[in-house]
Amino acid sequence: MAAPIRILTAVPICDGHDSAINTINLEFIRHGIEVIYLGYHRSVGDIVRAAIQEDVRAIGISSYNGGHVEFFGEVVDLLRKRGATDIKVFGGGGGTITHDDAEAMKHRGVDKIFFAGTSLTEMTDYVRERYGKPRKRAGTKSPDVQLAWRLTEIEDGTRRSGREKKRQTSNIKHRTSRVIGFTGPGGAGKTTLIDEVVLRFLNQNSKGRIAILSHDPSVIGKGALLGDRAAMINSQNDRVFMRSMATRGQAGGLSPATHDCLALLGRSNFDYVIIETVGTGQEAMPFQKNGIVDLTVLVMNPDYGSRLQLQKIVMLDLADIVVVNKSDLQRARTAHAEIKQRLEQNRRAQRLIDTVAKRHRDPGVDQLFDLIS
Amino acid sequence: MSKLGQVVEAVEKYNRFVLDRVKRARTDEQFGRELLGRWNDIKAKIPVTRTPTGLPLPRLALPEIDEPGEIARYLFGEGLPGEFPFLNGAYREMYLEPIRELESFEKDAVAADVSPAKSSKQRPPLQQAEEPTRLFSGLMLAEDTNERFHYLTRHQRTHRLSTAFDGPTLYGIDSDADGVFGKIGEGGVAIDTVEDMMRLYDGFDLGSPNFSASMTISGPAPIVMAMYIAAAKRRFGWKVVSKLRGTIQADIFKEVQAQNETIFPIEASLRFLTDMVEFTTREMPRWYPISISGYHIGEAGSTPVQQAAYTLSNGFAYAEMFDARGIPVDQFGPRLSFFLDCGLDAEYIALARVSRRIWAIGMRDAFGAGPRAQLFKLHTQTSGRSLIAAEFKNNLTRTAAELMLAYMNATNSCHSNSADEPFTTPSEEWIRLAAHGQAILLEESGVFKHTMNMLSGSPGMKAVERAVEAAILDEFREIERLGGVLAAVEDRFQRSQIQNAAHRYEQQIYDGTRPIIGLNKYRNGEGDAPEIKLARTPRAKQQLQVDRLKKFKKKNAEKAKRALDKLVDVVERGENCFPVLLEAVEVASLGQITGRMQEVVGRFRPMV
Repeated sequence: MAAPIRILTAVPICDGHDSAINTINLEFIRHGIEVIYLGYHRSVGDIVRAAIQEDVRAIGISSYNGGHVEFFGEVVDLLRKRGATDIKVFGGGGGTITHDDAEAMKHRGVDKIFFAGTSLTEMTDYVRERYGKPRKRAGTKSPDVQLAWRLTEIEDGTRRSGREKKRQTSNIKHRTSRVIGFTGPGGAGKTTLIDEVVLRFLNQNSKGRIAILSHDPSVIGKGALLGDRAAMINSQNDRVFMRSMATRGQAGGLSPATHDCLALLGRSNFDYVIIETVGTGQEAMPFQKNGIVDLTVLVMNPDYGSRLQLQKIVMLDLADIVVVNKSDLQRARTAHAEIKQRLEQNRRAQRLIDTVAKRHRDPGVDQLFDLIS
Repeated sequence: MSKLGQVVEAVEKYNRFVLDRVKRARTDEQFGRELLGRWNDIKAKIPVTRTPTGLPLPRLALPEIDEPGEIARYLFGEGLPGEFPFLNGAYREMYLEPIRELESFEKDAVAADVSPAKSSKQRPPLQQAEEPTRLFSGLMLAEDTNERFHYLTRHQRTHRLSTAFDGPTLYGIDSDADGVFGKIGEGGVAIDTVEDMMRLYDGFDLGSPNFSASMTISGPAPIVMAMYIAAAKRRFGWKVVSKLRGTIQADIFKEVQAQNETIFPIEASLRFLTDMVEFTTREMPRWYPISISGYHIGEAGSTPVQQAAYTLSNGFAYAEMFDARGIPVDQFGPRLSFFLDCGLDAEYIALARVSRRIWAIGMRDAFGAGPRAQLFKLHTQTSGRSLIAAEFKNNLTRTAAELMLAYMNATNSCHSNSADEPFTTPSEEWIRLAAHGQAILLEESGVFKHTMNMLSGSPGMKAVERAVEAAILDEFREIERLGGVLAAVEDRFQRSQIQNAAHRYEQQIYDGTRPIIGLNKYRNGEGDAPEIKLARTPRAKQQLQVDRLKKFKKKNAEKAKRALDKLVDVVERGENCFPVLLEAVEVASLGQITGRMQEVVGRFRPMV
């Protein structure tokens, strides 16, 4: 079966109209498309950077607040400038984009504008038809573009040369980055926490680079909504290379291609590689098979239920650092005490930290960052 | 239990109280007689009016009941218009003058402090030659919008300006920021500095009782409010501040739930909002510092019940916050106003009526508010979402039906949308038809002008009231279960509920279970698009805005640094930052100020 089509969707800067795009995203997913959703109020730079790193087939922009001729044009121009001409641009804006506007936008290199009244089916058909065929790679190979292409080859299993494949796995040992794994149940705040750690790294180190490999579940038999980028405001930065992956049918919190992608990132001159699993269940131990994660962080929500539940969480035995996030919640103190007791059974040097990741400059996150770096 | 839980209990308790009164009226003979006497008094005092054909009609229609139990159910359960619990209306009389000004665009028509009926008594009837109000609310640069304001108000005695801002302003970004050039002056006016604010309202007497300004902005509302005050002070001196009239939207919860124009993290946004409210309720007694808005929740695709439930619960959460800051409920209560969407679903027959009742009971019994702080002062706008591009002239009918529903709910003011809205910022021709739609309903037709509650109280309406109230209370309980409004918002509860509803709505259109005439039913081939002339901001103007902003920054560089350092200091210390904001806007731009405040409190992390 052909690999799923990957599309990036976003709403332009100074525009919060996300109702249409939310519906369109769901429709795309229903039809097997993987959507990396960047969110609303996003700049041209953020959109193009994300599209290149995610190596999507096309960018879909939903604009309802005017200035679209300029904005779409700038996206096309910047893609060209960055050597990513094989990434196409399409979009719409209900009735706000006139036929004359659309002509001007097409003239600047936009593939397609959907007008008011276009059915969801029409859009989905267009995307599957136009962006579903194998593409011819074109454009200059800047390091980020090149890395992104290779990740796609690994993920889609299109890398043919056996020799190269061998090199990939054997090179794990030659990696240059420190690899940190974040896991934990859905809603614990992993994404926010990672983004806050990234912010501290960027502030502390003025030159270093960081890579993030983030996972979201595929809907069974369908596509996936990869939405971590939307909430990771600090990670939209030229010194951060982020890649969102769908689990594509694999259980346990990671994708079948995670191992090889991680290996590639590990030897690509990043100071850190952060890997985030999907929200995991009690029995999950996502990092065991990899063997290349230096440090594992389990992020917990204080509302895990009774003390008994803690006994069942396998990662509590394995994690190097356990974080109780949302420690401003009422139950957090009890949670801390219960988890502390649970960790003491292990007789290992595990660390337990309380954070409020949503809070700016949270001292708990500072402490976590110190431990990691 | 949060205040919302107490509100649920208060409504339940009040409903039991009503049943108890009904029972007592039937069993306690003296009480029954008293009620009957009061009922006959009320009936006797209702004035009679005549239709143009000479038919006599009562100004207020009452149900034909003479049984004490039913009288008790009406008087306690619904209340006469202007009486607790205000189901039938916030004020004693509404819509009754033969001619009423059309303030369709105006969110702050509710800000008039008096009922429309009373206010229209004070106003002369519209002159025959006068055109209906066509307030277009914000375009290009401040001077362009100013010119438009003057044009629109040239025949009007009262100047009520409703201001829409462009994208960069709504997000607290300067016009010279990277990548926003094409957005300058699009969809609203570009405001970067206090100098722009002076240009915007130039030539208007800001302290006059006949002037009020409405500003549709939430994320950076405290900063924009400070700019407005600073601009007024520069022109009229300090004394004008206490006379300023108007409304600023400043509704953070609905931004996070639906409209996405938030710039600081939620808690910080709420803190700055409360700082502003503390200042305005004390220093600007005629100002409405918040317009609690369900409109954008409805437009984002919520169900009608969700719209009312989230708007009301947001309102109660604000009240709880202001109360916790120590602002007296009878001081801030009367300064709250509401803004709802009105679509075509059956719920809209009574949505605002029920909202008014729940608000009054909640404010009185959970917050101890006095009568003025119990009023749910409502501006309604017809649904933009219900308007579609296919065979767009049908939109006139949709809007007309929605207007009828809005007035059946005794809204205090209403805005009717233009039929061409699916295509563009409304054009003059269709705005005129939209405004005339209201005039036809209120002035030409006899539906509302003789008897104020002509269409109220039908068994169907009662049935909707009961069902809607129960559903709203269920939503409250769910929010309460999640830990209250703020906790639910942070859990993105309302957001995902709204998104689910929006998706279901689209699905229903797609599978035909929700008929949309001209779109999925009775289709007539290709649509007929209107001639669109769009008012786009020319590049030269956008450049002018950037240039003069740079000049402002250069001129004030030194002073701005000092003022911003002081602001940062106050924000760090957690004190009320509004007074220092007033100083900062004199020398710093909107983007400079938000930037420095974000250093301390962080940026808003968007929710998907």
